[in-house]
Order: sequence, then C-alpha cells, then structure tokens
Amino acid sequence: MSAVTRRWLIRSAAAGVALPFLPSLLSGARADDAPPRRFLFWYAPNGQRMAHWVPDKVGANYDLKPILEPLAPVQSDVSVLTGLANRPAQVPVAGDHARGTGSFLTCRTVVKTAGADIQNGVSIDQVLAGKIGSETTLPSLELGVEGGASVGVCDSGYSCAYVRNVSWAGAATPLPKMNDPRLVFDRLFSGFDPTLTEAERAKRRALRSSVLDVALEDAAALQSKLSVSDRYKLDEYLTGVRALETRLQEGDELACVPPEIPGSNLDYPSTVAAMTQLMVMALKCDLTRVVTFMLGNGGSNRTYEFAGVSGAHHELSHHQDNPETLDKLTTIGRWEVEQFAALVAALGAEEEFDGSRLLDNTLAYFSSEISDGNRHNHDDLPVLLAGGGGGLHAPGRHLVWEETPMANLFTAFMGGVGLPENPFGDDGTGPLDGLL
Amino acid sequence: MRRCLLLSALALSSCTPEERGPDPGRVTLHRLNATEYDNTVRDLFLTDMRPGRTFPDDDFGYGFDNIADTLSLSPLHLELAEAASRDLVNRAVLPGLADQGRWRVEAESDGATATLGGASSEGWNLWSNGSLTAGLNLPGPGLYSFTARVQGQQAGPDPVQMALGLDGVQRETFEIEGSAWQEVNLQLTVSSGYHGFSVHFLNDWYEEGVGDRNLLVDWIDVEGPLDAEAVAPPGYDEVFRCNPGLMPEDECVDYILRNFAPRVWRRPLTTEERERLTGLYVHGRSEGLEFEPAVGLMVQAMLMSPHFLFRVEIDDDPESLEPHDLSAWELASRVSYFLWSSMPDEELFEAAEDGSLLDDAVLNAQIERMLEDPKAEALVDTLASQWLFIRAVDDTEPDYAAFPEFDEVLRHSMQEEMRRNVAEVMLGGGDMRALLTQRSTWIDARLAEHYGFAEPAEGWERVSLEGTDRQGVLTTGGWLTALSYPTRTSPTRRGAWVLANLLCEEPPPPPPDIPGLMEETAEGEEPASVAALLAKHREDPTCRSCHQLMDPIGLGLENFDGVGRYRQTDAGEVIEAQGSLPDGRAFDSARALSDLLAEDARFDRCVVQKTYIRALGRGPTVEDLPYVEQITAEYVAGGRTFSALAQAIVRSDAFRMRRGEDGGEP
Repeated sequence: MSAVTRRWLIRSAAAGVALPFLPSLLSGARADDAPPRRFLFWYAPNGQRMAHWVPDKVGANYDLKPILEPLAPVQSDVSVLTGLANRPAQVPVAGDHARGTGSFLTCRTVVKTAGADIQNGVSIDQVLAGKIGSETTLPSLELGVEGGASVGVCDSGYSCAYVRNVSWAGAATPLPKMNDPRLVFDRLFSGFDPTLTEAERAKRRALRSSVLDVALEDAAALQSKLSVSDRYKLDEYLTGVRALETRLQEGDELACVPPEIPGSNLDYPSTVAAMTQLMVMALKCDLTRVVTFMLGNGGSNRTYEFAGVSGAHHELSHHQDNPETLDKLTTIGRWEVEQFAALVAALGAEEEFDGSRLLDNTLAYFSSEISDGNRHNHDDLPVLLAGGGGGLHAPGRHLVWEETPMANLFTAFMGGVGLPENPFGDDGTGPLDGLL
Repeated sequence: MRRCLLLSALALSSCTPEERGPDPGRVTLHRLNATEYDNTVRDLFLTDMRPGRTFPDDDFGYGFDNIADTLSLSPLHLELAEAASRDLVNRAVLPGLADQGRWRVEAESDGATATLGGASSEGWNLWSNGSLTAGLNLPGPGLYSFTARVQGQQAGPDPVQMALGLDGVQRETFEIEGSAWQEVNLQLTVSSGYHGFSVHFLNDWYEEGVGDRNLLVDWIDVEGPLDAEAVAPPGYDEVFRCNPGLMPEDECVDYILRNFAPRVWRRPLTTEERERLTGLYVHGRSEGLEFEPAVGLMVQAMLMSPHFLFRVEIDDDPESLEPHDLSAWELASRVSYFLWSSMPDEELFEAAEDGSLLDDAVLNAQIERMLEDPKAEALVDTLASQWLFIRAVDDTEPDYAAFPEFDEVLRHSMQEEMRRNVAEVMLGGGDMRALLTQRSTWIDARLAEHYGFAEPAEGWERVSLEGTDRQGVLTTGGWLTALSYPTRTSPTRRGAWVLANLLCEEPPPPPPDIPGLMEETAEGEEPASVAALLAKHREDPTCRSCHQLMDPIGLGLENFDGVGRYRQTDAGEVIEAQGSLPDGRAFDSARALSDLLAEDARFDRCVVQKTYIRALGRGPTVEDLPYVEQITAEYVAGGRTFSALAQAIVRSDAFRMRRGEDGGEP
C-alpha cells in the first residue's frame, strides 16, 4: 500500500469520514437476484471437554452445557452437530495434532514426513473456492493468529505444514494464513485509493500487470533450462503470478466502507476480535466468499492468563481426568465459543441488499482436530454449524448422527454450490442428510 | 517390547551409494527465505524496511528455514512480494514524502514492557516507581507526537508525578491531579528506527491503612513525523548511478541495467534480459511516467523476477548426473548466503566478475574477510539461533503461576546472553567446543538478578562463571527455559535435544496415546519431584527403552528449574544431578555433562553436519558422508574454529559443484 493511501485512510478514519457506498459495484453479486452463499471454517486447537459440550436434548431448544453457554444469545442461529468423525486422522502412531489439523478440512490421511514430500488432499474450502472463488477479488481468505514456530520442530515427525495450515490447494500445496490483522487490512482494503479516478486506478493496475508480464517472460526463458524439481518450484511461482494477474484484471473497486484500521501489536484476544471483524467485512464487501480461520495452530500450547487460566492449552488438554484441569479446559472452551458467538452475532447484524441477514446466506463451521485431549480421538468431534447458508441449513438444533464421516458434511456443502455431490476425502460416502 | 534405536540423521537414507564416484548433490531452485529477502533488500537499497516480515512464515526442514526443497512459494507469498516490490521502489528508491504513521500500544499488551506493576482493569498499574515502555520502529526522522493516557491514584501529601521519556531518558515531568483518566502529550524530535517511548512513575507513596499512590497507564500513542517533507531515500543513489541531466536518458537506463541490475540478479544480464527491462521502461514513459518512476518500474520487475526471488543455479544439461563446477557468480552467491544470509558485496562481485573467486587462495581470503564483516552476525541469527534454540526462547510461554518472574524483558535478556556467547565463540575465532565449556557469560542487570549474580555496573558485562555451577550453552537461562514445559522442567526434552543436536543422534518420537506426566497433585497427596515422576514412568517397559536414553541426560540438568534458575531441591526432594549418556559414561553435574559432550568426537561431527546442512540449504544424503568426514577432519585439524569449518565446507566439492538430475517426476 502506498504511503499516500495509508495516510488518507488514517485521516478519514480519524475524521469519521465515510467512503462513498458504491451500490452499482454490487451488481456482480446480484446476478441471480439472491445474495451469494458464503462459507466460513473456524478451527480451534486441542479438542473440547465433551461432557461440557454435548447437549442432552436433541432437536430445537437444546440445553446449553457450560462450554456452549456463550451461544445463548445466538442459539437459534447455531446447530450443534454430534456424532461426526474424521477417521482418516486416526492412525496408531503419535502425531494426532498434526494429523488432525492437516486433515481438518481435507479428510485425508496425511503422509508422515518432516521434509519436502508432504502429501495431503484438497481441502473443502478450496473445493468450494474452485467453484465460487472466481466471482470475487480473492478466491478465498486464510486467516490465523499464530505464525510458525521459531524453530523447526512440530509434532512427532510430522511437517509443520500440517500443523499451521488447514487450507490446502493441492496435495503438497498448503495455503499459508495471515496472522497480523494490520496486514490483512492492507491486503483487503488498501488497493482502493478513493483519491484517484477509476481511469487512474485502471492505469496503475495496467502498469502492475506489465511488470508481471516481464517477470513471466523471464520465467518462461528460465523454465527450459531447469530440471524437474526446479521446474516444480518455478511452477509455484507461475501459479502465483497468474493468480495476481487475474486479480489485477478484475479491478480493485471496493463495494463497501472499510472498517477501522486494526491496531498493531495486539494481544491475543484483540487479535481474534480484529480478525473476526475483518472476515465479516470481507464477506460483507464480497471480497471473498470462502474464509478459513485458525484460533491457534495445531496442538497450540498458548496460555490463557487473560481468561484466568494458569497452564498451557496443549499440556492441559492431556487432562487425565483431573477435575481442576478439566475445569480449566471448560474455561478455555467457553472463551473459544464466545468468540464464535461474537462472529455469529456480527454476521447476523449485517444486512444484505435483499433485506436478509449476511448470516442467513453464510455457513459458519467450528470444530477441532481432535475430540478429547487425553484420548486424541478423531470421532465424536465437537462441531458447531451456524447460519442458513442460503437455504442449506436450518439452524438452532442439536443434530445427532451415528459415527458418520465428517467428509459427508463437506459433500453436502459441495452440493450447495452446485458441485456434484461426490464422496469427499478418504472416507466420504455421500452428502449428509438432516441439515434442513 | 519396543526397541529403541538412535538414528543418525545421515544414516537415515542408508541405501548403498551407486558405484558412480563422488556426488556433490544438487540444491533445488532456492527461494530467498524471509531473512535472506530482508537482508538482500537492505544491502541493495540501504533501507531498514523489512518486507520479509509480512510474508508467510517459511517452512523448516532438517532444523533450518533455508532448505530449498521445503521453501515453497504460495500465491499469497507472491502477492505480498509484489506489494513489497512496489513498496520498496516507492519508499526506498523514489523521492517522496517520508512515510507517516500512527501507532497505539495498549499498556497491557505484548507491545509494551514494564519494569514492574501488573495488568489492571483498564491498563497497567505501575504500583511503585518504575516505567512502562512501548518499542516502536519509526519510518523516518522528524517531529513525533507522543501521548499517554494515564490515571493517578492519589494518596499522601503530593499529587502523582510522572514523566514521559524517550529511549530510557526522561524528557518531561507532569503532575497528575485528580483521579480522572487524562492524556499527557509531548512533541519530540526523533530519528528513524527503533525507539522506546516510556511512561515513568516518579513518586510512589504507601502507608499501610492510609493510602497507596499509583500510576495507571492505558495506552501509549505515537504519531508522526509531523514535519515530513520530500526526501530522496539512500536507495536512490544506489539505483540511479547516472544523472539523466548529464547523459541522455536511454544511455542512463542502459547504465543502470549494466551497473545496478547485476546486483539484483547477482550476475550480469543477457542482452535479451536488458532489452526486456528496457521495453518496460519505454512502456512506462509512453504511459506518461517521468524518468524516475519509469526506471522504478524496471526495478519492480527486477524484484519480481525469478532471478531475484530465487537463487538460480544453471546446469548446462539439467538431466546429466555428471558433476560440474558452479560459475564464479553462483559460487559468490553461495558463499554470501552462507556467511551473510545476503547478497554478495562489491568486492565479492568483483572476484566473481574477474573469475579470481575460483582460485582457492582468493576464496579463502574472501571467507576470512567476510567473517570479519558485521554482516557475519547473520551466522548467529540464523545458523546458531536455530541450531542452539536461541529462537525457541521466543516460543516458550512459562506459566505465570509457576514462574511469575518470567516476562518479556527476561526473555529478551536470555536470548541476548546466548547470542553474545555464541558470537564470541563463532566469530571471535574460538574453539567451537567452548560453546559447551565456556566458563564466562554475558549478563545484564535482569539476568544478574535472575541468576543471583552481582549486578553489572551498566549494560551488558562479561562475567566469570568460576565458582558457579554454570558453563556453556546448556546452563544458559534461555536454553533451559526453551527446553522446559510451561510449569516445570522436562529432563526428557532436554535429554532428547542434547542427543539430536549435540551428538546428531535422533531419538524416535513418542508412541501414540501416551499419557503425560501427572502434573496436578490429588488432594492429600504430596507433590512429587519431576525426577520421581520420571523414575516411575521408566518402570513401564514400553516407556523405558526410549526414556532410558533421554531422561538420564536431562536429569543431570535438574539443578536448573523451568526458567533456568539454580535450585537444590524439587518438590522438597534434594536434587541429585546424576546422569549418564547412552554409552554409559556417567556425570554428576551440568558442567560434567558439558565436558563429556565437548570431548565427544560425535560433537565435532555434529557441529559440521549442522553447519553443512545450513550452508548448502539442503538435507544430507548418504552421498554426503565422505564430504562430512573430510570436512570434519579439516575442521579438527584447523583448531575447531568456525573459520576453519567455513573454509573446509566451501572448499568441498559439495559446495563448489552441482549436477543435474534424472528426468521424470521429482
């Protein structure tokens, strides 16, 4: 972002100047006279204390166990899904956090390696983005709060790539997430400089494109001189350049008022809040329709002093049925669900052009890489599903299945965007029934 | 029963090498990692911008973040690199308004550090005389507005007194009347770069039952520079090596392509490449750009080219397995990214241009020169920081209840101690075994307090460790903390780390579904020491086979707690720091362990192996064994200095040669 733009935004934010609302730009989103469907996937590390999670009552008006109590104000918009399993992550060797996180949205058994030969599958968010991503500036948006570890040790011989990423564009292509709200803001909202005319902005984009053209020619000349594995690296480069060229051709108009610039050096709770606001705005402004968000990396050992919990999350999750430790896990789980409830409330507060709520056209999914931290099991996962997804889900119920593949839920999402409802992942069998 | 074997990383791929003679291997097209990118643009444009910090985190392989095979390039990364290329041209090359900004740091956030006090409802409570500091990296020199939101808790005869300070020096004193939140402000002329903005509480007063005077801080806000004006950044002269007023513009462009562009791509450009970039310049001009911005467009294209973003090495025949020498330019880059994590400088480029770098004597002299350059500190910040876990101190989160004294200031001091010790040995020409046997260390006031040493007169001081139980890296607070759990020590982790990183023998990962140690104590039960818990743990035969390799090493370090303080008891039990190495050699203290490790020939080989992986940026295979053996011999014969090691690595064919690879799938 140019210095000029940043200054302009700071001034306008400070002075409370609103950017002009540009309704005409929303026309693309209105092609079929219905707001588009959006998908959000939230990942929370280390499982949950299931005894404080699963409601006793099935169906509507389910009872809220202690961890789910924060859902009270939005309960009619959130379903609790019980009995879903991600079996491909269940392999009898250590590394359940890496495996569970790697397969969180792929439902594939990831290959155990600490080196370059990582192998996973395409994640559901990317499958959806493959269908609906071309409609928006960003096909998908990957967000998180934890970067990588500072040294190269992750989980029991599994690559850090599995622990840090839930979004996978290909078997060996994790999509890294952005962890700094300030940078996310810049990426989403800085391209649009309202002090320039549309012609000037188009010219800037054209110049950027011409720079990339030269880089592409360099790459083409280089490609013929490279061996197989070098060409593989250059292919990653070419994919990135072409994606950016496409984005430049599509323009950088902003169909809404940007939110306030997030602060720098935010603490963990403020970072989560800022990210929540940014993802809601990204959906509202139709900059993207597919978002993934990691509240922590796989097996995160974050401390929750701010929530009054001493001890670190991953260590605590090995609770060994100690009552004191279990209560700490309840506190952490509650805090996580509070954040999700805040997201649901924010989506519910945004109105679409047809008068419906953004939440009505969104599916927001929340789960973890394991169920119980002590057992590291990948069945009986803690799952929340919020929003209507444009008629894909009737929320506000406790839905129960018998040991059913998580992959089937994702297959149902695929059907929702018009993709064939083929079995997903390693163990999918078909679309999940009962969401409506 | 499960059998536990230690695996040497090199023996992992223990297939028999084919009978085809020595194989120098090949390094895959190597993307600059974030550190390399930042150091390179620093040297290209003399800028302190660090755009690499905005890129997605680099992946690791073999313990390092510069392994070509694992350094992927995602679309997000490329998008951010494109933004960086525009940012660099706009802010580090073209004249323009100095960048302005406004930063707010919440007092209780990680962005602020306090000498004392605690988080309170709305901010940070300085409950005694002390200060709270926000560290900020300012974009340019100039006048800044510095505001703090504070509240006085009044007690005693006087109102609350406070000061605003810059870089530890109090600049103006304020009296805070009443108990309402208020903002105090000061305008300051500040240079660019990293500065500490501080709030100081000056007149603490407390009388039991009468009152308590405190200063609460909500946030610190800095805005500026308020007086920014158009300036040409230092990068301008680096790029514009000709004056278009003195020579025709197209000649000037050609001059830039012949004199600046080779620095960006680390080699001269071909005619075709120059023409391509010239074409972009011409296009920019035809679109109405002035001379300088049109050149800026070329610079952007150079920065977005694979020839900049990757370190490109070319095989004449990419499918031939026949080893061949690197070109002098390629060799110059390998040497500079090994020793500096950055591009070659003018002198190294000259040695590449005239080919003299291919001469052993010239190459050796260049290495010596480069190790004396301040840029060689990159070896501490990348090689040693990853190998010896200095960086891991960043990730460690000691539990507040277990270790209330741990804070960000201590974390920083711990890392600085390790850095200084390592730099002294590696860059000071010392015997590398001193990493383990050093009987002195660097401390500041915070560490002195933590270790129970006498406080240094000022700043950092090198102190003798004679008469203490400390020596070398295994007794530094940082290492001991990084290899602990948040609430306690972990002899297992410490032991496993020693095996894997000092002897290069990798213990296997734990089996699945194992319970951790019982941390919490059930009611009525005496808390047990970590040693006692582990002893119980080793009674289980499935645990025993592996833990008996790791735990006894870590148990020798039990005199140092989870944040590296010396202790004689754990949970009431007297610690007996008795330990042994897997080969049975016993020791009775951290010092004795360090001495045993330093004497071990496997340590020499391990130092070589770690440096070799980091120098080449690729994982080792069985074909590398002869090279590692040869380098180890030369390193030992050369007095085990880092300089001898660097020379031996660079002299090896593995460093100076490469080959193509079989076709087919990678």
